[in-house]
Amino acid sequence: MTDSFVFGEALVLGLSSGPACLASCGPVLVPSLLAEQSGMRLGARYLSTFLGARFLGYLLFAAVAWELGVLVALPPAPRLLLIGIIHVLLAGVLLWYAYSLGHPHVHSCPVSELVTIGVERKRGISGPAALGFLTGLSLCPPFVIAGVRAAQLHSVAAAILFFALFFVGTTVWFLPLVSLGCVRRNEAVTTVARMAMVLIAVYYFFLGSAMLMGRNVYGH
Amino acid sequence: MATEARILPPREIAPRSIVRSALLTLPIMLWSLLIFSNSYQQPNPSVLLAGIITPVFMTALFFMMMRTSSTYRWRRWFFVSLGLLFPVGFIHQVMVMRGSMGIPMEEMIAGRTPFCFLPMPLLILPAALTKTVVFPGSILPGGGMSGGGMAAMAGLWLAITIVVGKGWCSYACFFGGIEEGMASVPRRAKLWKIDPRWRYGPWAILLAMVLLSLALFEPAYCMWLCPFKAVSEYVAAHNTVGMVQNGIFVVLFAGLVIVLPLLTKKRTQCAFFCPFGAFQSIFNKTSVFDVKIDRARCSSCTLCQTACPTMSLTKESIAQGMTLMSCMKCGACVDVCPKHAAVWHIKGTEVAVKPERARLMLLYAAWGMAIMFGGTIVAEGLATILHVFV
Repeated sequence: MTDSFVFGEALVLGLSSGPACLASCGPVLVPSLLAEQSGMRLGARYLSTFLGARFLGYLLFAAVAWELGVLVALPPAPRLLLIGIIHVLLAGVLLWYAYSLGHPHVHSCPVSELVTIGVERKRGISGPAALGFLTGLSLCPPFVIAGVRAAQLHSVAAAILFFALFFVGTTVWFLPLVSLGCVRRNEAVTTVARMAMVLIAVYYFFLGSAMLMGRNVYGH
Repeated sequence: MATEARILPPREIAPRSIVRSALLTLPIMLWSLLIFSNSYQQPNPSVLLAGIITPVFMTALFFMMMRTSSTYRWRRWFFVSLGLLFPVGFIHQVMVMRGSMGIPMEEMIAGRTPFCFLPMPLLILPAALTKTVVFPGSILPGGGMSGGGMAAMAGLWLAITIVVGKGWCSYACFFGGIEEGMASVPRRAKLWKIDPRWRYGPWAILLAMVLLSLALFEPAYCMWLCPFKAVSEYVAAHNTVGMVQNGIFVVLFAGLVIVLPLLTKKRTQCAFFCPFGAFQSIFNKTSVFDVKIDRARCSSCTLCQTACPTMSLTKESIAQGMTLMSCMKCGACVDVCPKHAAVWHIKGTEVAVKPERARLMLLYAAWGMAIMFGGTIVAEGLATILHVFV
């Protein structure tokens, strides 16, 4: 009874903090999704890869944090360091992704292109997977709340289940983004999306670097 | 050869008589007097003088627009004056109230940050999702230096925008004038080969800033990218990040508002950077006014394309007889066309049937707004300068 209450709490926590998760992942997810090819199926494929990788990031962090018992006790300085590293990595992946979308040969195999002449090749999943995984680790406020609650549970399995249900709750808020697949893609849309990715990457890089150097970005 | 034979001769446009031009100007003159009537009761002679000069200036420009059928040339006088005088009045007000151009954190926390229209698109998503306005200013009058508050600014913007669409950027924006002035300095562009993909810049910045504003819960554009912070108010932070922010503002202002307009003869900040301009482009769909190319008269000389300060005309769009949705209705293409093939147009009517009527209707709306919104800013800046002498 207590367990079901706790897991119900995880689901409700995910549902209630979903908009914050969406806001937190939006700068990474929306432009990279818009830069992809159009179509509901492709949009759904991209989103599920991103969310799946994000889920893996959640679980990995939950398991490690519970095992080490550091999630709650993590002092602000190392936490900033961790977030800083993740931001720099996110910036790197975003830049690479924005570049590779304009240069299809970067993530294509020449041999496969030879055998698919005239057919538009499907893009790989490494880009959305890397972005999803890193956002899964990025310690956004709802994630920390869930982490604190999960750390109080009696076993690592329970902590992982708690995170899984929390993830299901937040995912509901991401589903409408599949409709971005319906946006007609042309040169304008993909260029705008790629430019936005570069801009966001620059910001994340600055934010991450400032954190790594111990600077307070909001210290006016 | 056969195509040329089908082109109609240029449309005859005779100048209006002085009496007819004066009669057409009369409503604008009365509107100016009404708007500035408050200045005539001021004991301060500089305010009184500015309140006399500004309506005369605005009325005279409108008269010349009526008399010569040229829009861009006369509008530019007002617009450049607005761009130059806005910082004068604003900085003076900041110095009087705060003693510094820097905005400290305490002012932000107290919600006394002056509100401009630029962050409006950035506030929509956070407000929709969390019912929070992520701008450190007051919604109602009383907060901020403008005293009007966000609600007044947003209401005014909406009313104007629905009518003139992106015409806002040519008749009301108090930032675009400096670069328009800079763009008009050289006789020829030194840098004329510009990759057309830069036109997508404002949309990319809009997308990135909307998403970052939602994620960070701050108006990201105001915090990091607004070039006009360099001539309005800087971040009063005594740390590295504050220095970085102010450095970005100065570099962007110098590059996009001073150097690139001088080199390209384009409004580079508006055309390639301003996210509000991109947002405003959407409202060109609601506005009844637009510019069309009369294909029956167009000789495809592309003079209009060269003259357009925002690259809103391309060979393809000219062939289709229309501008791109980024058109700011400044009138440069209409003025420069030797065949009078670029014409003002009201949606739903036939192209080039009565273009002057369409121009008159746009100008009454746009100039009325220019007097009410920009004219008062011009008068304030002018009063600040006159105060030194009077």
